[in-house]
Amino acid sequence: MDAGKRIGNFVKDNLVLVTIMILVLVTAVLEPKFLTIANMGNLMNQFGPLSFVALGMTLAIIGGFIDLSVAGIVSLSAVFTLSMIDVLGQFGALLAGLLAGALLGLINAGVVVSCGALTQAKALFITYGLSAVFSASALLYTDGATQHMSHLENRTDLFQAIGSGRMGFVPVSFLLFVVIMALLHLFLIRTQTGREICLGGANITAAQLAGIPVKRRIALVFTLSGVLSAFGAIVLFSRITTASPLLGANYETNAILAVVVGGTSLSGGRGSVIRTMLGVMLVILLSNCLNLLGVSTYLQSVLKGAVLIIAIWIDRRRVK
Amino acid sequence: MGRELSDRILSVEHVSKSFPGVKALDDVSLEVGRGVVHGIVGENGAGKSTLMKILSGVYTKDSGTVEFDGQRVERTTPMESLRRGLSIIYQEFSLISSMTVGENIFLGRFREAGGMKGTHQKAGELLGQIGSSISTHKLVSELSTSEKQMVEIAKALSFESKLIIMDEPSSSLTEEELAKLGALIRQMREKGISILYISHKLDEIFEYCDVVTIMRDGHVIDTRPVSELDRGEMVGMMVGRTIENEYPERPRAVGEPLMRVEHLTTGKLKDISFTLNRGEILGFVGLVGAGRTEIVRAIYGADKVKRKEVRIEGKSLKITSPRDGKRCGMALVPEDRKQQGLVLPFSVESNISMANLEKVKRGIFLSPDKERKMAEENIDSLLIKTPSPTAAIVNLSGGNQQKCIIARWLETEPKIFIMDEPTRGIDVGAKYEIYMLMKKAVEAGSSIILISSELPEVLHMSNRVLTIADGRITGEFDPEKVSAQEIMNRAIG
Repeated sequence: MDAGKRIGNFVKDNLVLVTIMILVLVTAVLEPKFLTIANMGNLMNQFGPLSFVALGMTLAIIGGFIDLSVAGIVSLSAVFTLSMIDVLGQFGALLAGLLAGALLGLINAGVVVSCGALTQAKALFITYGLSAVFSASALLYTDGATQHMSHLENRTDLFQAIGSGRMGFVPVSFLLFVVIMALLHLFLIRTQTGREICLGGANITAAQLAGIPVKRRIALVFTLSGVLSAFGAIVLFSRITTASPLLGANYETNAILAVVVGGTSLSGGRGSVIRTMLGVMLVILLSNCLNLLGVSTYLQSVLKGAVLIIAIWIDRRRVK
Repeated sequence: MGRELSDRILSVEHVSKSFPGVKALDDVSLEVGRGVVHGIVGENGAGKSTLMKILSGVYTKDSGTVEFDGQRVERTTPMESLRRGLSIIYQEFSLISSMTVGENIFLGRFREAGGMKGTHQKAGELLGQIGSSISTHKLVSELSTSEKQMVEIAKALSFESKLIIMDEPSSSLTEEELAKLGALIRQMREKGISILYISHKLDEIFEYCDVVTIMRDGHVIDTRPVSELDRGEMVGMMVGRTIENEYPERPRAVGEPLMRVEHLTTGKLKDISFTLNRGEILGFVGLVGAGRTEIVRAIYGADKVKRKEVRIEGKSLKITSPRDGKRCGMALVPEDRKQQGLVLPFSVESNISMANLEKVKRGIFLSPDKERKMAEENIDSLLIKTPSPTAAIVNLSGGNQQKCIIARWLETEPKIFIMDEPTRGIDVGAKYEIYMLMKKAVEAGSSIILISSELPEVLHMSNRVLTIADGRITGEFDPEKVSAQEIMNRAIG
C-alpha cells in the first residue's frame, strides 16, 4: 500500500503537472497529429498575449493584490502603441507602449496607496474601477474605431516579429516569455526587493513594522503588472494586426485563472512564475482539448469557471 | 451505563490524537465533576487546546472514549456539542462584530427565541443574570474585550450549558474586569454549572479553581485539588523541572541618557516627554487603552503624530516610518504576534532574516547559505525549538515564535528595543528565557522599553517605571522602592 500512498502524494503535490499529462494523453488520442514538432510550435504560439498578462498578475497576487485593471491596460496600451508607430517609429512606439503600461500601473498603485486600500479586497475594487477608466479611455482615444496595422505608413516588421515571428519552430513571443519568466523568477526568489514583495504580500503589517518599504513595493508590483500587460497587448495586436479599443476584455479572468490554477496562493506571498507557466499551459491544453471534443465555447466558459473554483478550493485546503 | 445522574459531567478516558509528525494527545484521561471549576494548566503545546477541540467537535479523536452528562459521545460537531450543553469560549472570540449583541447570543436560533423581539428580550435577561447592562442592540464591534466576554458567557448560558470551557479568558482583561469575571465564575458554579478553566496564569488557577489538571507534552501529569498544591510544585509539573524563580535577577546596567522624547502629541496622546537611558529597562504601566502602545508606535514611526521630537545621543531625528525607526537603531516586538509580527506562511529562517536582508546578500543576490547560517546561529543561541530552519513558523509554539521575532531584531543590533507584551500567551518556561534575553540585551548595551499588562513582570524587570493613563504620563517610580499598589493607583489615573 506504500506505493499507492506515494503515488497519491505525488498526484496531490503535482496536481497541475498530472492534469497536464492527462490532457496531453487525451488530446494525443483524439488527434494523432498533436504530438508532432509542428504542433508543439503552434502550442507555444498559443502562450502568446495571455502568458505575459499572467506573469504580471502573478506578481500582483504574490504581492497581495489582484490587479483587475489589466483588461483596461491591454486595451489602452494596444491602441496607443499602434497609433504611435506612425509618430515615433516602431522602436519608439514599442518603448512608448511599455512606458504607458508602466504609467497606468503606477496610477493603480498611487490610487491604492493614497486611498489606504492596502488590503486585497479594497484594492480589488480600485483596480476594477480603474479598469473601467482605462477601457473607456481607449474608446475615447480611438473614437471607438478599430485601428489597423496595414493602414500605417511606417515600417512594422519589429511588431510582426514579436507577434508571429519564429526561430526554427519556436515562436519569438514564446522565447521572450521564457526569458522574462526566468528573470522574474530570479527576481522574486533571489533579490531583496523580490523577497520584500513576497513578505509584504503575505503580511503587510508585519513587513512594514520590520522596516520594509511596503508602499514602494506596491508601486513596483503594479508597475510591473502594467508593463507586462502592455507587452501582452503588443504581442496581441501585432499578431492579429488590428487593435480594437475592446481588445483586452476578459483578460483579467483568464490571467487569474492561469495564475491560480498554477498554484500561486490567492492569500498572497506564496507562488511562482514557473507555476504560472504551467497554469497557462493547462488553460491552453484544456481549451485545445475541448475544441477537439467539439464542446461549444459557451460551455467552455462554464468549465473554465469550474476549474478556477476547484483551484481556489484546493488552495484554501492547502492554507489550512 | 444507564442514564442515572452521576456526579460527573464529563469523563474523558484514554483519548489519543495524532497529527502528522506529532502526538498531540497521548492516553489522556480526565474527569470533571458537576458544579466544579476545573483548571487545566500546561505550557503551549501541552495538548490543552487539542483536547478542547476534540470535546467541542472541531477535531475527532483517534481512540479513547468521551462521556458527557452520562452519554457516550462519538462524532460530534460544534453545534451539536452546544445543544448538548457544552460551550467553549475561545481566546479569540467567535462573535460577529457587525451584528448586535442580542443577535450574536441567539445566532441561528432566532425562531426558537421568538423572532427579533424575543431574541433581544431573552438576551437582555441572560445578560441581566450575569450582572451586565450592555444594550442588546449595541453592535459587537463597539464592545470592549470584557464586554465581549460577557456576551460569550451569556451565549453559553442561552444553551443552558452544563459545562463551559474557557480558554485563557483573562488574556486581555484589566484587573478590574478580571475581578468581575471571578465573581461570574463563582456565580455559575453555584448554579451547578461546571467550568473548565484553561490558563497560563497560575494566580487565577489558585483563585478560581477547585481542582487542577496539569498537562505536559500531550500527557496528563496529575489532577489534584488546588488546595493540595503550591505554586512551585505546579510550575515544576508543568515544565518537568523546577523553576526557582519566575524572574531573573533585575539587570543593573543603566548608563547615561540615550533617547529623549519630547512633546509627543497625537489624537490620543497628550504631550508625552520622557528620557530613556542606556542599558535601562523602562517599564510602561497602564490599563489597556491608556496609550502605552500608541506611545511606542508613534516613536517608532508606525503611526502619524501631530508633534514629536526625538533625540538619540543628542541628535535630533526625523522618524516618519518604521523604516526610519529601524534605521535610527530601534526595534519593535509588536503586541500582536500573529498579525503584526510574524509572516505565518513563511519559514523560520525567512522570518528571522526579514529585517536583515542586507546582511544575507552576496553581491546583489540573497544568499541562501548566509540566510540559513543566520537562522541556525539564532536557533542555537536563543534555544529556539524548531524541527529545522525551513519549518513553517506557524507550527512553532508561541514562545518559540516570539524568540524568532526577538532574533530578527537582535540581528539588527538595536540601540532601543521596544517590547510590547513580549510574553503574552507564552508559557512559564519560555517566559523566563525571554526575560533572560532581555537581561542579556541590556547588559550588552541596548535599552528596552517594556510594555506589559502583567504588573509583576514589569515591576520585576524594569529599572524605572512610567505610569500612563488616558494618554498622559502620570508618574515615574522606582519599582524597588515603591509598592505595586501605589504604582497601580497612579496608572488607573
